[in-house]
Amino acid sequence: MNSAATFIDERNPTDWQSDQMQKRIRKRYAAERRFKALGLGAIILSASFLAFLLVVMVGNGLRGFTQTELPVAIDFPAMTGGASASQFEGTNAEANLRTLGVQDIVNTSIEIQYGELGGELFSAGGWQAVSAAILDNPDIIETETTLYLPVESEIDVAYKGSGSASAEQKITELKDQFSTGFNWNFLSNSDATDPMQVGIWGALKGSLITMFITLMIAFPIGVLSALYLEEYAPKNRFTDLIEVSINNLAAVPSIIFGLLGLAVFLNLFGLPRSAALVGGLTLALMTMPVIVISGRNAVKAVPPSIREAAFGIGASQMQVVFHHVLPLALPGILTGTIIGMARALGETAPLLMIGMRAFIATPPSGIVEPATVLPVQIFLWSDEVNRGFVEKTSAAIIVLLLFLLTMNALAIYLRNRFETRW
Amino acid sequence: MTGSILFLLIIILGGISWFFGRVKARRFVTGSAARGAVHSLPNYHGWYVALWAVGPALLFLMIWNIASPALVTDAALASPAAEQLPQDPFARGSILAEARSIASDQQVKAFNPLSQTMVEPYKTAISYYQTLGAIAALLLVFAGGAYSWLRLKPELRARTKIERITMMALLLASLIATITTIGIFASLIFESARFFSMVSPIDFLFGTEWNPKAVAGPRGETGFGAIPLFWGTVFIGAIIAMIVAIPLGLMSAIYLTQYAPLNFRAWMKPILEVLAGVPTVVYGYFAALTVAPALRDFAVSIGISGASSESALAAGVVMGIMIIPFVSSMADDSIAAVPSAMRDGSLAMGATKSETIKKVLIPAALPGVVGGVLLAVSRAIGETMIVVMAAGLAANMTANPFSSVTTVTTQIVQLLTGDQEFDSPKTLAAFALGLVLFIVTLLLNLIALRVVKKYREAYE
Repeated sequence: MNSAATFIDERNPTDWQSDQMQKRIRKRYAAERRFKALGLGAIILSASFLAFLLVVMVGNGLRGFTQTELPVAIDFPAMTGGASASQFEGTNAEANLRTLGVQDIVNTSIEIQYGELGGELFSAGGWQAVSAAILDNPDIIETETTLYLPVESEIDVAYKGSGSASAEQKITELKDQFSTGFNWNFLSNSDATDPMQVGIWGALKGSLITMFITLMIAFPIGVLSALYLEEYAPKNRFTDLIEVSINNLAAVPSIIFGLLGLAVFLNLFGLPRSAALVGGLTLALMTMPVIVISGRNAVKAVPPSIREAAFGIGASQMQVVFHHVLPLALPGILTGTIIGMARALGETAPLLMIGMRAFIATPPSGIVEPATVLPVQIFLWSDEVNRGFVEKTSAAIIVLLLFLLTMNALAIYLRNRFETRW
Repeated sequence: MTGSILFLLIIILGGISWFFGRVKARRFVTGSAARGAVHSLPNYHGWYVALWAVGPALLFLMIWNIASPALVTDAALASPAAEQLPQDPFARGSILAEARSIASDQQVKAFNPLSQTMVEPYKTAISYYQTLGAIAALLLVFAGGAYSWLRLKPELRARTKIERITMMALLLASLIATITTIGIFASLIFESARFFSMVSPIDFLFGTEWNPKAVAGPRGETGFGAIPLFWGTVFIGAIIAMIVAIPLGLMSAIYLTQYAPLNFRAWMKPILEVLAGVPTVVYGYFAALTVAPALRDFAVSIGISGASSESALAAGVVMGIMIIPFVSSMADDSIAAVPSAMRDGSLAMGATKSETIKKVLIPAALPGVVGGVLLAVSRAIGETMIVVMAAGLAANMTANPFSSVTTVTTQIVQLLTGDQEFDSPKTLAAFALGLVLFIVTLLLNLIALRVVKKYREAYE
């Protein structure tokens, strides 16, 4: 005590104007500014990573929605020996078209126009576009028409950006004739070996079916268990166990769910490999804890006064829960469900484990048929060596991100729209 | 009659019985003099009848689906065509399995001519037992519906009964999570045990050579030393990714909570959250297509030897970016949980904002931040697609971030996506790796949650 008093006595009052003090203050303020700038820098860096990723994907991917085309003049009357338009109308149209041999007609026309090696310029499946054009408008079969057909992938890549030397040379030769069209095939086709022929419809349909199964299983189970845990569960060892396992499941790596699906659904129950059913079941187990956790928070947020009022007019507990608590908690549960579904939609690893990585060229039409989903399709295309697949992969990523952003925006909208302050 | 049509029919019949139950119960209310004696609302009577109609039938179908395959096989074996089957149980089993899948339209063509002869008996047996099951199920629907409909009377405590059943459904639903956890654990343990009966656990956990392709032979398996995988996982997920994610995430959280104007925060927080919502396959593609080649060119230009186009650095950096929002929101929460009296006290003493943050807020929020980092690590080491696409397959024990390393999750994918027989140590090794991954992430999560919880209590 004594020594402290003398210490204070001996010390002069702080001279804030002294050079030394001013210097220290300047230093401290500079440190403050640096720290603040560091924080801002961290945010901007993180956000610019996102921006960079999106720019790269969109920059690569937008080209995937277009295709380069070359005109081919087809002299139908000469080549078909005078087929009439009426043959390609009505019920027999497709059968008649098959006997016509469109592929040969197109190949011959290409050779006439572009020489012996002309066939190398065009995508192998380009003749299907001609078939579609005939079915669309049978009248062209009686005339000499010029149709634009997709070029071969190497040339397509070279025309859009930079490609191999031989392709670049062909580009300079035919420079004026190229045109660019929207690649409708990309939206309507499934997987293929030729990047000019691939499309996302098969994967998208697979994703939708899988998501539907996931939702049908995870949503009811998630909501029911959230209600049980919040409204009924007694506090004991048993319910603690349930609670701990739900929290743990939410943090288990997704690939482990794939191992579970493989061991249980495929090997034990003998469900078919690669099927949307197994994918949906596996993803449902993964999504359910997310729904339970968000559901519990939503149920917890419903004020007790509402329950008490319902009890007060003689409702049973089940009536209180299902007539009053659940409807009020539903928007919150839906928000959590959408977020969980968005995560499931982007998930790849567990689906690889259950065999959803096969080459699937026809869209699935049922829940037990081999199917693929968008993220897996992206993964498969990313492995392809052909340069044409780079832009298709990025284009598929754009579609996937659009879906995810829409779902997240919907979740945010729901949260804002139904957020109630009691 | 296929399963789904039968199921649909039962559900429709259930709806009809709900209607009749309700109609009968309404008459109690409107018709009878003893209006006060009606215990439950008509709806509950309807549900009572519907559940009686549908429940037993569905239960029966479930049991029937499990039991009927054995009956079908017995019936098929009793047919004259079965006499020419070989006695060897394995050959017999495979022929029967093939015939069965052809008969149920899962397979088109038979590899073994003998199975083609068994298809017809199988088809007859399957359709016989299917019809039998369908008739029995429909009879059960009518029996259950009629029984309960006849039992309806004003005093029936339908609501109590329905509520008891609903309660059971709620309990069952919440049990699914526990069952799933047990299922994960059991399947991992079971398959790992089979693996460890072929490969010693010591060799697996402490061996340094990972080369499952060069497996010697039964009981002499080598090349299952998982140390290089563990190192690769830790190197990418716990070291490189965290070097990126911790400073960026922490500084972002500090700026957003302490400095940012409200408007800026309202925009930036969701933008950061988008980073966590991007699918990992997109990150993986980004890492493999853009980041990895750039890093390799950079490494080559500064003269680093052994730079690979699949590098630990590319995978780690991209994974770190993915983790940023995770770290920042955990740090955000724990900084916000520090009582503002502590912050105000420090500011009142004349400390600058940054001094307050560094000397008061961060130390006070440290347990929460550490917990968040542990959760982030657990997430990073379980992450699959980024490392599968960008980290490579070579099991190297190197600290050179430009070289290729492999991780546990990459190897699981590698081991399980080939065409391999299911009993080989190669495929079973994936489950052993999965078990290790599961245990490690579980421990990390438990520790992290405990740390966060303990710290929360200290301030409340």
